[in-house]
Amino acid sequence: MFSFTKEQSVFDISEIKIGGQPGVYPTVLFGGLFFRGEPEFDNAEKQIQKMLYLSNKTGNPAIPDFFIKKEENIEKIINFIEKTLPKNYPFSIDIIEPDLKIKTLEYLYKKNLLSRTIYNSIHVGIKNEERETLKKYTPDSAIIVAFNPRDKSPDGKIEVLDNGAHLIDAGLIALTKQLGIEKILIDTAAMAPGDNSGASIAAIPVIKEEYGLPTGCAIHNVVEKSKWLEEFKSEKKIVDASSNINIPLFGGDFVIFGPIENAEMVFPIIAWQDILISEYTQNYFGVNPEKTHPRRKLFK
Amino acid sequence: MKNVKTTVVGSYPINIDNMELMKGYFEQKNISWNKYIDSAVNDMISSGINMVSDGQTRDSFVNIFTRKLKGCRIRGRTEIIDKVEYNGPITLDDQKYIKNKIPNSTQLIGLITGPYTLTKSSVDLFYNDEKNLAFDFAYALRQEAIELQKYVDLISIDEPFFSINLPEYGKDLIRIVTSNLNCPKRLHVCGDVSNIISELLDMPVDILSHEFKTSPKLFNEFKKFNVSKNICLGSVCSDNIKIETVDEIMSHIVKGIEVFGEKITQLAPDCGLRMLPRNIAFQKLKNLVDAGEKIYGG
Repeated sequence: MFSFTKEQSVFDISEIKIGGQPGVYPTVLFGGLFFRGEPEFDNAEKQIQKMLYLSNKTGNPAIPDFFIKKEENIEKIINFIEKTLPKNYPFSIDIIEPDLKIKTLEYLYKKNLLSRTIYNSIHVGIKNEERETLKKYTPDSAIIVAFNPRDKSPDGKIEVLDNGAHLIDAGLIALTKQLGIEKILIDTAAMAPGDNSGASIAAIPVIKEEYGLPTGCAIHNVVEKSKWLEEFKSEKKIVDASSNINIPLFGGDFVIFGPIENAEMVFPIIAWQDILISEYTQNYFGVNPEKTHPRRKLFK
Repeated sequence: MKNVKTTVVGSYPINIDNMELMKGYFEQKNISWNKYIDSAVNDMISSGINMVSDGQTRDSFVNIFTRKLKGCRIRGRTEIIDKVEYNGPITLDDQKYIKNKIPNSTQLIGLITGPYTLTKSSVDLFYNDEKNLAFDFAYALRQEAIELQKYVDLISIDEPFFSINLPEYGKDLIRIVTSNLNCPKRLHVCGDVSNIISELLDMPVDILSHEFKTSPKLFNEFKKFNVSKNICLGSVCSDNIKIETVDEIMSHIVKGIEVFGEKITQLAPDCGLRMLPRNIAFQKLKNLVDAGEKIYGG
């Protein structure tokens, strides 16, 4: 369990606190809404309500992560966000295609939602048009994916954050700041099984110590792609959910835990882990958990 | 061109599609670099080059090595944070991959960035002693060279920092890297080497490679010595987008023959081509091959 010598940033994203020394703030949990095919908003609303209930119960903040894969879904999904989420509640938009990112930013601006938006994500694939749009329609915060195709080790991730690894003209952190985004979260880029996937966990304390920025990842992706787990069908969900404890254990601040349907398993596991870490960090480092921390809420 | 090969010094430009790599990441695929190696090697083969390299597409010529050696970590520059040691093959998998793809008639160079250049390119946070660091780099690189020689036709050591400062132990470093190697060895030193020619001629290598195109004064400087080593004649600029014509390159080679005669065994660009646009790098190689064939026969 860690205490970092580098001063740790704590960001307030629409009243959700993220970052800091381990043991102070609860781990923030991102639950994915993938909307395969035609979006099923009734089910999505139920899942969001369930996640918010779990968040309220454990103290671990929940952020719905909305995947947008088709242009025709941009307005539908954003209108749904506006209608469904509590007033001023933050959310992230998770988009791969640059064109869709641009159109989504434009619509978020039109709907006056950029102040609640976590832009997921900025990475070495960023194009000039996307940069220009981000300058014009700047979201409150952004997740940087520290993927370096030249080097998947923690050092490689630092390199891409620091100088772009000679793949782009600037380090991803400086580039994001140049776009006007100050609240930066670092995703350590979990790789496929067998492709240095453990480095995404090992990189968490390295990046926290180097930059002091809130850091996490989607380690669940590694479980999802572990083919050998197909032989353990019923246990796979347990492995998936429990893989996430690695993130707070290594000092991380947020977990992108995959499908929102997994919230029921993930929230208590992470709350338990946060309590474990808090007990130790308070005793050893004298770090006090915030009043919303699971240790305060659940362990009385 | 039986006795004279057209070749390269090392790097070759590629166009990296960052978004494609990112999509591979998002789809949780194993990210392969082979496409970029193919791009460089195929260009070299298409241009008619006889002896190709891997193009050093993965990284800068320093980081390729320091990224994988124990004791080094990559930051803005390589930082030395522990004793430098060999930690397993560095470029070997790429060389094996290329060896299987190139025609039998095409030869392959194993590239090694020299120990002194790695030392001077790094920030030493551990040794506080440049010489000890350079020797540990040399011992580590020797292990890579021993592995490489099983798959390549020539090992080329790139030591640009020798032209700025050749340390009194420079020859010892090269001896360590090249000891027990059975394949031919080349030492490439770019920049103005006119003050260190006698030391270069004494290096434990078979071929010396220099920037004769950018520094034509080297012809006169080398004339002052009895050149016992074979020469890789730098014949097109690697840092200028102007494409030398075939006639221009032929004139240059003729000047080289006047100085070195049959000691010229390789024709190459002055240095790595990484900084040039790909189409220009390709045309420079093609013109180099055409000029070589016109002079030495096809």
